[in-house]
Amino acid sequence: MEGDHDKTSFWKKNIKNVPGRPSPKRDPKTNSRSKPQGSTSFQDFQASVSDAWAMDDDEFCSGLKNTKISKKVSESAALNVLNTHRITSETRRSSNENLSDTQIIHDAEVVRISRIPGRPLQLHCSNPPQEEDNELKLERFENLLANSPSLPELCKLSWSGVPVKVRGITWRLLSGYLPINLERRNEVLERKRQDYWILVEKYYYTEHDEVNRDIQHQINIDVPRMNPTIALFQQKTVQIMFERILFIWSIRHPASGYVQGINDLVTPFFVVFLQEFIPDNKPFETYNVDTLDEDQRKIIEADSFWCLSKFLDGIQDNYVFAQIGIQKKVHQLEELINRVDENLHKHLKQHNISYLQFSFRWLNNLLTRELPLRCTIRLWDTYLAENDCFSTFYLYVCAAFLLYWKEDLLREKDFQGLLLLLQNLPTQSWTSSEISLLVAEAYKLKVMFADAPNHLSCHTRNASES
Amino acid sequence: MSTKDDEYDYLFKVVLIGDSGVGKSNLLSRFTRNEFNLESKSTIGVEFATRSIQVDGKTIKAQIWDTAGQERYRAITAAYYRGAVGALLVYDIAKHLTYENVERWLRELRDHADQNIVIMLVGNKSDLRHLRAVLTDEAKAFAERNGLSFIETSALDSTNVDLAFQNILTEIYRIVSQKQIRDPPEGDTIRPQNVEQIDVKPTMNTDSVRRQCCQ
Repeated sequence: MEGDHDKTSFWKKNIKNVPGRPSPKRDPKTNSRSKPQGSTSFQDFQASVSDAWAMDDDEFCSGLKNTKISKKVSESAALNVLNTHRITSETRRSSNENLSDTQIIHDAEVVRISRIPGRPLQLHCSNPPQEEDNELKLERFENLLANSPSLPELCKLSWSGVPVKVRGITWRLLSGYLPINLERRNEVLERKRQDYWILVEKYYYTEHDEVNRDIQHQINIDVPRMNPTIALFQQKTVQIMFERILFIWSIRHPASGYVQGINDLVTPFFVVFLQEFIPDNKPFETYNVDTLDEDQRKIIEADSFWCLSKFLDGIQDNYVFAQIGIQKKVHQLEELINRVDENLHKHLKQHNISYLQFSFRWLNNLLTRELPLRCTIRLWDTYLAENDCFSTFYLYVCAAFLLYWKEDLLREKDFQGLLLLLQNLPTQSWTSSEISLLVAEAYKLKVMFADAPNHLSCHTRNASES
Repeated sequence: MSTKDDEYDYLFKVVLIGDSGVGKSNLLSRFTRNEFNLESKSTIGVEFATRSIQVDGKTIKAQIWDTAGQERYRAITAAYYRGAVGALLVYDIAKHLTYENVERWLRELRDHADQNIVIMLVGNKSDLRHLRAVLTDEAKAFAERNGLSFIETSALDSTNVDLAFQNILTEIYRIVSQKQIRDPPEGDTIRPQNVEQIDVKPTMNTDSVRRQCCQ
C-alpha cells in the first residue's frame, strides 16, 4: 500500500482526470513501507478525503435522470481509462511492502493433490469454514470497520483473506464503491443503487440497436451456462440479474463491450453480496433467491454492478479489440517464468507449448475457470486489497500458479500430456489455504522484481540481478 | 487418452469453428471423451483435445482445437488456424443465424488458414427436429457449391459425431498419402514419429481430391 503522501494525491488527481477506477501514478521515491497509522497521519488522511465524496463529481452520479449517455462521450471515457491504465502500468511500482513477513512463505511444504483426469468440477455444496473465518480475525475486522477505517489499513488486513461475515462491506470499501467516511455511506449507496436502476430502465428495457442486440444475444447464450454445476445459477431470477448487470456494463464500455468470461467475473461479487442476506450461514449454492425480498435482490444486483465496474476499470484493455492487454501479459508471463524458472520454461518450449495456449484463459478470467468458486472468492480478497496494483499483481498470481504445478509439469513428457494438464489443473479440493500460499508466492515474485522496473523486458536481464 | 504421442502414423491438426453456442465443445467432448454437457461453459480462447482413429490400418491422431465463437476472440483464435489441415465449421440447425454466418467463417478461413485446408460443414443439434430452421438439402447444396463436405450431427445423442471426424480425417489422410506417393518427402521414406505436423498441399490435378472437382 502506499504511504500517506500518495494517498493524498490519490483522490485529488483522479477526481480530475480518470472517469473510471482511480489509478494513481506513483512516484517511486516516495514509495515506502507504510508506517503504523499514527493519529496525525490518519487525521491527514481523513481531511484529505473528506471532500472526495462531497463534490458531485462522481463519474456516475451526476444528473443521471436527465442525461442520455452519448456514445461519443462514453467512447472517449473508455479511451481515457485505457490510456491512463497504459501509462500507469508503464510506471508501475511495487507497493505492497507492508505485508507481515509471515505472509511470505519460503519453500513451503505443499500437500499435492493427486492428478484427476478430466476437467475440474466444482463442488456442489461445500461451505466449510475457511481459514480466513477465524474469530480473532473477525474481531480485528469488526474493530476496524466500526469507525471510518483507513484504506491502507483495510487493504493490509484484507490481503490475507476477509471473514465471510464482513466480506460484503469490506469489498464495497476496497472497490472504492462505498466511501470510507461512515457518515456518507448510506447516502451514496442509496444514490448509486437508484442510479443503477435508472440505467436499467433506460437501456435494458428499451429497443436495442443492432450492436446492442448482438451484445444481448451473446450474454443470453453465456449466462445460462455459467456455472452448470451450481444450482444457484440455474435459477431464472439469478440469470436475469446477471443479464442486466452485464448488459448495462457493456453499453457503458463500448470499447470492449461484453466479452465472454466477464460473466465469470461478476460471480464472486454476486455471491458475496447474496451471502449477506442468507441466514444461518446456509450454503449459497442451493439458495433460492426468490425467497428474498425484491429490495434485497435489487441491492445485490446494483452493488454487484458497481463493484464489477470499479474492478474492471483497471484491466479494460484485456477486453478491447485484439485483447492487447492479455497479449501483453502472456508475453510478460513468459519472460517472467524464463527468468524465475528456466528449467520449467525450457521444458514447456521443448515440447512446443506456447504460453498463449494455456494462459489466455487464466488471464482473461483471472483464474476463475481454474479454481473452485470458494477459492475464487478468497482470491478476490487479495485482488481487491491490491487495489490499483491489482492489474499487475494478477500476472504474478498466474506465474505462481504455473510454478505451483512445476513438478507435475516436468513429469509430462509430451505436448499432449502437458497441454491437457495445463487446461485441467486438479484444483477441485483446493481451499483458502492453497490460495493463501499462491498469493504469498505471487507476492514474493513481485518483491523479487520490484526494484527492477524493467525486469519484464528482454534487454534488462542484468537490472534486477545487480 | 492413453495413447502416447509417439504411437501414431499421422498427426493431423483440426480446428472447430463456428458461432457461439452451436455445440463445438460438446462435439469435441463427445468425440474425445464420449461426454456431453447440456450446459457446458463457454470456451475462452482455445481448448485442446486429441483422439486417435484407424484408417487403412494406420493410426491417425487428431489434434483438435476448439475455439471460442465470439467475434472478440478472432484475433486470438485465428492464430490457431496455422498448420491446421482440417476444419469443422459448425452451425446449429435450429438457429438460422448461425448458418447465415457460415460465409463469414469461410472468409475467416480463407484469410488465415492454409489454402488447401479440408473443410467440413457440420449442422449440429440434429436431435432438435421440431425446432429445425435450416433445411438439410439447403445446407448440402451450399456445401457442394463451396467444395465442402457436409454432415449433420447431434453431440447430444451421438448421431454422426464419430462419423464426422472419421470422414474428415480420412479425407485428409487420402490427400496426404496421395501426395506422398506423388512426391515423396526428402530423404528415403517418411518417418511419422518425427513428423509434428503434416502440411496438406495437393496440387490442382490431384484427381482423388473430392472437393476440387467442384471448383
